[in-house]
Amino acid sequence: MIEALFEGLFLVLQWKPLAFMALGILLGFWVGLLPGLGGATTLALMLPFVYAMQPVEAFAFLLGMHAVAATTGDITSVLFGVPGEAASAATILDGHAMAKKGEAGRALGAALASSLIGAIVGAFALAIAIPIVRPLVLTFGSPELFMLAIVGIAFIASLSAPGPRGMLRGFLAGGLGLLCATIGQDPQAGIARYTFDMLYLWQGLDLVAVLVGIFAIPEIIDLAIRRSSIAGSLPAGRISKGAFEGVKDTFRHFWLTIRCSLIGTFIGIMPGMGGTVAQWMAYGHATQSARSAEERKGFGAGDVRGVLGPGAANNSKEGGSLIPTIAFGVPGSTAMAILLGGFFLLGLVPGPDMLTKHLPVTFSMVWTIVIANVVTVLACFLLLDHLAKLTTVRGTLLIPAILVLVFIGSYTSNNHYGDILVTLLFGGIGYLMVIGGWPRAPFVLGLVLGKIAENYLYISVARYEAAWLTRPVVLILFVIALAVIAYPFLQRRKAAHA
Amino acid sequence: MHSRASLALALGMMAVSGYAVIAAWAWPWKASLFPLAIGVPVFVLSAAEAAWVVLGTTEKSEVQDVQIAQDVPERVALGRTASAAAWIAGFFAAIVLVGFPAAVPLFVFLYLKLEGRERWVFSAVFTAVIWACFYGLFDRLLHLPFPQGWLAAWLGF
Repeated sequence: MIEALFEGLFLVLQWKPLAFMALGILLGFWVGLLPGLGGATTLALMLPFVYAMQPVEAFAFLLGMHAVAATTGDITSVLFGVPGEAASAATILDGHAMAKKGEAGRALGAALASSLIGAIVGAFALAIAIPIVRPLVLTFGSPELFMLAIVGIAFIASLSAPGPRGMLRGFLAGGLGLLCATIGQDPQAGIARYTFDMLYLWQGLDLVAVLVGIFAIPEIIDLAIRRSSIAGSLPAGRISKGAFEGVKDTFRHFWLTIRCSLIGTFIGIMPGMGGTVAQWMAYGHATQSARSAEERKGFGAGDVRGVLGPGAANNSKEGGSLIPTIAFGVPGSTAMAILLGGFFLLGLVPGPDMLTKHLPVTFSMVWTIVIANVVTVLACFLLLDHLAKLTTVRGTLLIPAILVLVFIGSYTSNNHYGDILVTLLFGGIGYLMVIGGWPRAPFVLGLVLGKIAENYLYISVARYEAAWLTRPVVLILFVIALAVIAYPFLQRRKAAHA
Repeated sequence: MHSRASLALALGMMAVSGYAVIAAWAWPWKASLFPLAIGVPVFVLSAAEAAWVVLGTTEKSEVQDVQIAQDVPERVALGRTASAAAWIAGFFAAIVLVGFPAAVPLFVFLYLKLEGRERWVFSAVFTAVIWACFYGLFDRLLHLPFPQGWLAAWLGF
């Protein structure tokens, strides 16, 4: 195995795979920055180009591109409050709040360093999981996946503000997200729910269009109201100087970064959970790391831990989602499903062969994830000064540029005007939520997990009837969900007694 | 503004969840169980939030989220919000009427001139750069299908 590990490294370090990886990194860099153009879309667009390549070259190109899109997606989220990728929306809450306080450099430094650690943890997990992944994945049937979604939904309690009013609004926001997740054709009975006879709504609300609206539109309005730059009147010199502080923050909260990386890897391994879930669960876990009620208030207002958690989970999930794709041919996300197409184009069959005959190719993927992220993070650090200074550009120049990106990003989700209308509608809702003091994170969590929870619940009931409730892992996850809900209450009680 | 927004949201959610429950009632249980299980508690909770606002508890609750410009007087903020909303709606209308390729430069230029009060030359150059990025990346490189717009279609272009 060690021999195959090094063979994989040597395969990647040949000039042709390295050149294709560099090309992929360059493409992924820009794809991540642009809202709407997701890593999965670009993978699909680039898939025909791998026909003529060797497997190692093709995976260096495709994975290099995909691995860095999540990293650079955080840059747009931090600087402009617009999610570069659906999977980097959680970084906005604290990352953009830091940018507004003149700490864009520190936020970017933290996002990049945590992304790198996350990517390495994910790649390491991929490498060591190869012999043990089979029993782990097979332990998780539909009942366990349903309970995992419930654990995710339970994080709403952590993402809500303290006090009964804050909790009420948090659960209302989560409830709205869950309700929105029911829009579209019901997978069980085939009923078109809340579609108002519009074909566009049959597939449900597009996540990118909703996320871009709910996060970007309030930021644009804020910029228009303030009539200043994102960082206000803060001097430009101070803004770009904190990057190294952000790196130090990552090591200051090293175990939080590692824990969030593991959350990302685990969610990535679970087929059907999707990368968007990982960052919000990691964000929820990051808020739980606050030791006092006073510390918890800092989340959403620019706490660096709110950047580290999603940043790490976002990148570690890539290694995790490759595990079931390679080992069983079961893709963990849309991007992995497209990558699976790449396997077949190259004449490779996912499964036991990838863990024996083609093990060096599998390890070359591990190295690609690591090398691509190291290269991207280093390149980003070189550009950081210039990137952070974008927060000092006056709002009247930024607003039209950001709005063009928002509208194109939203439209390109499905090439339908309906996406822009969805963005505008949820932009209005997002604006009211911010003005009214309602948290937006629980809404996104509800929207992302609602459909997953409903599907797995029905499969569990149809397959096991009530017996699924007694499965050991289900019970363990149920206890974890209760602990996640109870944690903020216990924390507050402890603070009150202190 | 804080409590008005919260009341608007709570009432809106009462209406949405009420409709969701009524509509779900007519579906088979497989399709209606989840919407009913969520819709009923959301209706009750949003009624509680509305009552909370109406009964006079208007103090701002702490929130783990960003805050929109709080150092600007409310009247000014409302005016600027309305103006920003009008620009956003106008951009969307322009996209529908003349299509992305024409709406992007039109919106950017007008915004810079009218809202930003930038100079003519600067506005023209900035618009040209944005349009070149849009056209080069999305149209030429990625070949994304942008429809021509209703007005152009109506005029037969």
